[in-house]
Amino acid sequence: MDNRYVQQFKKGSLEMILLSLIGRRETYGYEIITELNRSASVLGYAKEGTIYPILYRLQEAELIQCRLAPAAANGGSKKYYSLTPKGKEVLRELIRFWASYADCVNGFIAAYRQTEVSEE
Amino acid sequence: MKEQYIRQVKKELHASRKRKNEVARDLNEIFASAAEHGETERQVVERLGTPKEFADSAAESFGVENCARRNRKGILSCVVSFAAAVIAFAMYALAGLNQTPDGAIGQADAMTGIQVKGAFGVDFSQVILVIGILAAAFAAVQTVRALRGSRRKA
Repeated sequence: MDNRYVQQFKKGSLEMILLSLIGRRETYGYEIITELNRSASVLGYAKEGTIYPILYRLQEAELIQCRLAPAAANGGSKKYYSLTPKGKEVLRELIRFWASYADCVNGFIAAYRQTEVSEE
Repeated sequence: MKEQYIRQVKKELHASRKRKNEVARDLNEIFASAAEHGETERQVVERLGTPKEFADSAAESFGVENCARRNRKGILSCVVSFAAAVIAFAMYALAGLNQTPDGAIGQADAMTGIQVKGAFGVDFSQVILVIGILAAAFAAVQTVRALRGSRRKA
């Protein structure tokens, strides 16, 4: 299932997913991609070209912060991301909204299913 | 391949030097991490998309419009309208010279000269003057716009 309605869902929720992921513990680019790809069956494969722009945006909005740590095996440095206090606050709000949003949508779906049953 | 890709992204990304370097560093990490996990540079490049695509979406996240093309257009219209203004003014000046022929040889043709002037000479040179002024004004506006655009990007 890869139509544009599904694309819209993903697009809208990817920021929240990233905030949740980074909120768990400090993490870096490749780890983020790998973690996301464990849910590839639902989310599709994550690409750097999609993830990094969102990271830049979240950083720009001061929801995440990063620090550089030398990484010998990596031939340079690794950037570790973590949530800022503001990021934690926004994520809390988003999670609250997501719950009520899901309830709302499920309400519509439940009502629809009921008419489907009564029509049979 | 990797170096070329990063260089191209930096070229396509119209942002401050600091941001360009940040994006270049991130790309270096992407390639390095991928190599660590046995991926080739070609595989990474294929996944990343074209340098232009990567640069555009990065710029969008920085809140800057990656408007190289538009800006280039702005500069072009700037140059063209400036050239048009110069040509129009030059033509106007030449028409002015023709109106008062002070060459001794030209005096013999003064009669025909006056006739041409009467027909459309004066109007024509005024039209050219107006075109010149408009082109100059447009060139000025475009220049200010282009300058402001590039300052916003910096």
